[in-house]
Amino acid sequence: MKFLTNFFIAIAGIVLAGSLPILVRGWVEGEWRGRLYVESIRETLEGLWPIGEIAFLNYRAGQEMPLFPNIFAYIVYSLEILFLALLVAFIASLTLTIVTMLLSDSIRERVKMMLYFLESVPDLLIIMLAQLSVIFFFKETGVLISKIAVAGEDQIYWLPVLCLAVLPTIQLYRLSMLTFQEEERQMYVELARALGFSKVYIVLIHMFRNAIISVFFQSKRTMWFMLSNLFVLELMFNLPGIMLFLSGNMHPLGFLVTIFSFFLPMFILYSLGEWFFVSRRHNKAVV
Amino acid sequence: MWRQPYFIFGFFILSFFLVGSFVYEWVWGDVPAQTHYLMEDGRAVEAAPISPNWQHPLGTDQYGYDLLGKLMLGAKYTILAALAIAAVRMAIAVPIGYIFGIYFDKQRKLMSSFADSMHYIPLTLFAAYVLTPLLWMPENGFSSTLWERISVQVIIMALLTVPIVSVLIANEAALLRDKEYILAAKTLGAGRLRIIRKHLYPQMREKIAVLYGQQVMETFIILAHLGLLDLFLGGTKVSYDPMFGDPPMSISYEWAGLFGSSFRYLQSAPWLPLVPVLCIGLAIFSVSLMMEGYLRSKNPKIKKAADKRKKIR
Repeated sequence: MKFLTNFFIAIAGIVLAGSLPILVRGWVEGEWRGRLYVESIRETLEGLWPIGEIAFLNYRAGQEMPLFPNIFAYIVYSLEILFLALLVAFIASLTLTIVTMLLSDSIRERVKMMLYFLESVPDLLIIMLAQLSVIFFFKETGVLISKIAVAGEDQIYWLPVLCLAVLPTIQLYRLSMLTFQEEERQMYVELARALGFSKVYIVLIHMFRNAIISVFFQSKRTMWFMLSNLFVLELMFNLPGIMLFLSGNMHPLGFLVTIFSFFLPMFILYSLGEWFFVSRRHNKAVV
Repeated sequence: MWRQPYFIFGFFILSFFLVGSFVYEWVWGDVPAQTHYLMEDGRAVEAAPISPNWQHPLGTDQYGYDLLGKLMLGAKYTILAALAIAAVRMAIAVPIGYIFGIYFDKQRKLMSSFADSMHYIPLTLFAAYVLTPLLWMPENGFSSTLWERISVQVIIMALLTVPIVSVLIANEAALLRDKEYILAAKTLGAGRLRIIRKHLYPQMREKIAVLYGQQVMETFIILAHLGLLDLFLGGTKVSYDPMFGDPPMSISYEWAGLFGSSFRYLQSAPWLPLVPVLCIGLAIFSVSLMMEGYLRSKNPKIKKAADKRKKIR
């Protein structure tokens, strides 16, 4: 029930946001365009039906094309990159956290401090440095490790995924360091230590299980940053993804379709995760 | 605060750019030096964009303007805009947050899920989408002045994430509200306004300061992203001449514009896009230094207040 309420509130928010430029344009010209705004929302909603007839401007072909099924190629590519990067970031940050947790306190503090300052590196810098180093490597050795921009219809994967994963890894690493350290102060860890379990065992089996829940709930903000980064990434690498699709279709319907296309999988993922972790927590409480 | 090396160092970097920007304009005027080509022994050796040398420590752009001069001139726009956007945002979000946290507890849940839905809209995309009618020059020129546009842009960008920030504050206030000393104050007859003013605000002052710092950092990033989309602070000058159209240009020399109009030169003249982004990174870094210094000065032992904030979500 809560799931459905949240879902409809979110969709209402996206629809309302989609027509905001009308109000802004009115503001620039010094008038209140409330009526036009409502009108635009109505038109957008009416334009959704029949869904098979929606046409959009294809950025590459330079002509109008039907929305379905063409859009799925864009969506799938963007989501692939997004989720691959998320996966890489999760695995890398959790592995690093577990390794760091086995080290001494002073090293941990230093690592945390370093991560805090590393978070201020702009994503644009990472992308540009990656592209420059690929070019440099190519000039020096003649080996092209990866294409740095997409031309035509081919798709590149590992370099964009790597670029997208760097900042989330740093953020999640710091986040999970804090969560694990919080967890370390709990009584059950002391008990386990007193019972003679090794540090590796406690961190891996006991603390990991509890900390991962908290990390999951806090990762939403990281995800939010990643979406902005994905947008920039698609522009800089000229990737044929959903974000680039939008920049050719800057109207309420295009906005709605674009946002909705990655809102849906992410919302389902997070709702499922929430449901899974919450129900597990309840089971534990009952037992 | 002023004894913390972190804070002083961060403050020094930021004020260096700001003061330097005004001094530069005062001494050398608001047009950077222009060199079309470099002469050596009577013949031209390098045409614009000129790579970094003694005369131009950071090189010049494709039209021969000195990049260092442009950076210094633009610093004030970018930094002041980021500070202003975050300040306006906090000024709106903090009262709203308190009101929801204290007066409307039931509606807080609804507002939470509304703000939650905003986490699925990439901020850059949203900002670009909403700001395009304001910043992209129409065919017959702008009808508004530069300062009008900058102030409207500041307000819009501030409003975009007000729901998220105010929900953070509302949740925090709601947590504090159930503390015993607040209950005690209530029993003694303190009104809600007094509780906000005398108990909640002093308790949350540090968290609000940290939140402000984070908003400034976030704003720098968003401004840089907008620059990539040719949406520059204070408007984008677009040439509608079909034959000799200039590329979209920034009206002020703000950093995002310097980056956005030159990132296609990444291979031929890498200093052109790299240096502005490095400067943005430096500004973000100095803000995070100041935040760390501030926190350390407030509670030298428990310096994890910034991280505690994250748990509330």
